[in-house]
Amino acid sequence: MEDRNQENLRELFEKFFDAEQAERCVEDIQKAERIFREHPAPEPDDMLIANIKAEIALRLPAARAHRVRRIIYEVVGAAAAILIVAALSLQLFEKDVPQNGEFVYASLIPTAIWESDDIAADDEDLAVFTAQIEQIEDEVLALQSGEEVGNGDSTLVELEMELIEINSDFWKG
Amino acid sequence: MTKSNDLARIITGCKVGDAKCFAQIVDMYASRCYGYFYRLTGNNDISDELLSKLFVKLVEKIGSYKGGSFESWLFKVASNIFHDHLRSKQRRKKWIEVQITEFKSGTIEPKQSNGELADKLQVQLGRLNEDTRELIMLRFYSQLSFKEISQIRSEPMGTTLAKTHRALKKLRQFMEG
Repeated sequence: MEDRNQENLRELFEKFFDAEQAERCVEDIQKAERIFREHPAPEPDDMLIANIKAEIALRLPAARAHRVRRIIYEVVGAAAAILIVAALSLQLFEKDVPQNGEFVYASLIPTAIWESDDIAADDEDLAVFTAQIEQIEDEVLALQSGEEVGNGDSTLVELEMELIEINSDFWKG
Repeated sequence: MTKSNDLARIITGCKVGDAKCFAQIVDMYASRCYGYFYRLTGNNDISDELLSKLFVKLVEKIGSYKGGSFESWLFKVASNIFHDHLRSKQRRKKWIEVQITEFKSGTIEPKQSNGELADKLQVQLGRLNEDTRELIMLRFYSQLSFKEISQIRSEPMGTTLAKTHRALKKLRQFMEG
């Protein structure tokens, strides 16, 4: 029992004590350990060693079974953990997806207009355009019938241009 | 093949449940472990029981050995078994405390199970406190370095060094006195 993993006692003690103290500590330890070598403990009985080996041989199959059981438990545990994580993940993702294939539509046309029976009355823009078109149509009819005085041709052209402008504004939205 | 390679091969065999490898481990360490238990308890019968428990535990726990110093691991298990033994005895039989007190105070001579008087060293070891005694046993029987002993005891190495030095010096004084 001299080796102690190639431990250098003096070097070790010098980390904590000065050189002289370290030297004394090492001497004290070596002298005390000599006492142990001079007073060896009793050796274990041969019968005891044989019994221990027999006991180990008896217990090995149970230990092997225990090891296999432990591996099975570990595998089952890991599989269960994976399943739980997968189930939780699915639940989290499903919260963002509409249930039972239900789709949500977002309409570009306002509901009031979509459900209206009289679009021209319910849509303000359309009502304004419609009124302007009707007014211009009336003026055109009046001009054509000769009711309007003044420069009839240019007025008619202006009115037609205005009608075309309104018409194109309407379709542009 | 080196000694450490041999040990590694034997431990691998133990891990797969090879009875011959366990038998080799018993042959390699039984003497030192027995000395460790005997010097702590001063009793052959208890040392027999603790040694058996140690190797049975080894069969159960070998899978948890993940490398490093095998001696360090083995003596950590041995130390735990000794402390379990102390606890269970204290729970079951209060009178043991009286025995230890008497043993420490030197009012009775420690006896081996075969009725012979214990050697002088055993008597003087009985005068040291339990923690100090175990530290000395670890130092002498486990063949561990101070670094490994301090790791087993979860204390700074300087503390282990100082305690061991103090304890061995005291023991030497007892032996010479």
